[in-house]
Amino acid sequence: MVSSRPHTYSVEAVVVRASDFGEADRLVTLLTPFRGLVRAVARGARKPKSRLGGNVDLLRHIKASLAEGRSLHSVSQAESLTSLRGLHSGLEKMSTGLYMAEVAERFSVEGGPNPALFNQFVQMLQVLDEEPVNPLMARWFDMHVLRINGFLPAISDCVDCGSALEPKDHVFSPARGGLVCPECRATENDVLLPASMNTIKLLRHMARSRWDAVRPVDAGEEELRQAGRILREHMQFVLDRHVRSSAFMDEVTRWRPAGANSPSP
Amino acid sequence: MSELAPSAAAPVARLIDAFHRLPGVGPKSAQRLTYHLIRMPRDEAEELASAIIGVKDRIVFCDTCMNISESVECAICRDLTRDRTRICIVEEPLDVLAVERARAFRGMYHVLHGVISPVNGIGPDDLKLKELLVRLADGTVTEVIIATNPNLEGEATAMYIQRLLSHLGVKVTALARGLPSGADLEYADDSTLAHAMESRAEVQSSNGTGGSGGGASPGLAN
Ligand SMILES: [Zn+2]
Ligand SMILES: [Zn+2]
Repeated sequence: MVSSRPHTYSVEAVVVRASDFGEADRLVTLLTPFRGLVRAVARGARKPKSRLGGNVDLLRHIKASLAEGRSLHSVSQAESLTSLRGLHSGLEKMSTGLYMAEVAERFSVEGGPNPALFNQFVQMLQVLDEEPVNPLMARWFDMHVLRINGFLPAISDCVDCGSALEPKDHVFSPARGGLVCPECRATENDVLLPASMNTIKLLRHMARSRWDAVRPVDAGEEELRQAGRILREHMQFVLDRHVRSSAFMDEVTRWRPAGANSPSP
Repeated sequence: MSELAPSAAAPVARLIDAFHRLPGVGPKSAQRLTYHLIRMPRDEAEELASAIIGVKDRIVFCDTCMNISESVECAICRDLTRDRTRICIVEEPLDVLAVERARAFRGMYHVLHGVISPVNGIGPDDLKLKELLVRLADGTVTEVIIATNPNLEGEATAMYIQRLLSHLGVKVTALARGLPSGADLEYADDSTLAHAMESRAEVQSSNGTGGSGGGASPGLAN
């Protein structure tokens, strides 16, 4: 049952969760393309002389050597694959990166390969690292994580009867997982979220486009708010839980610096 | 939770569970500690129990700096020789000891009791930030030095505080990057920590348009 020498293996990974553990260790959760989530202890990582330290911090994209242990794997080596220093340049970026990490983690399981999800997560971290923050980044990421995992919201036709939706304002049902036509609206007594014609356009555009085509979209505040709420509540329904880091991301991205917009208009 | 719990007697399971809730204690360690205690002589066990109660009864948070203390005002806050114009902000009480050991700082402290950790549901409201704002209200403090740990959550917390204080006209600095990232303040050697304190720099909390850095803030004390 217990082999004499620990088996070691190496993985590409992003650190999606990290907490203090034991005397000076860190307990990390790594998201990997082919093994899903891997929990491992990085021994001594909090000591300043540790060679692991900086590389097992949150949102690091690394190549890690792991040794299998009886209950926990341990990180024996970690080298940086993409620097992603730009992520550290502001609160908006950090909080958005942490939000994406939690979403990616929630859609993953230990030992469950999902290279498409992993690649999209790394790609979006690189976008976040290099580009100015854009509120559509998190929404586009939501949409495509849902798509990759087979939970794309039904936004082309009515989710209940399949009839085409006229180009006007409609409502979205998180419980039913899509837009509902006026006839089907009252068939169930569920929560319905407003989805204006422009919001629906934005959702459809995000669902079928690469990030490059979404970046230049200048979405209005109303559309952003509606699309954000639809995706968040749809995701919450799919996951059966709330994505905790969205609160901090929303707080810091909405923050108007107190000094910047004070008295003069 | 623990594998042995169903077969173990209820008091044993209860203790295993209590240990398991402590930071850094996994299910295996919780069992080990519990079975160690079962074999321990009664007087030693009583000494441990009374030490725990003693801490709960006699140690409080200092009303001012939130550090652990035996009275409502801690020894550092009582010390009239210390510089009351500077406050060093740390995550945990142990970090106060680390900075004190380095002997490079003679100001006051403020203990946050945590760090912003969105994934764990710990937000700004869970830290002792309101208490910090109260301390800054009368204008005595001219510099706030943020000494959170050099990792992503520590950096996010530092930037958040910088933003929070940006309109107060207080200079906000952070320890220099001499501390390797990922490391804990608690384990930094004294000279590294002293150097990081001496070469602290002002914090910027936003990218791109940045530049403001408190430049427009009124009433900057010096
Ligand atoms: Zn219908
Ligand atoms: Zn005090």
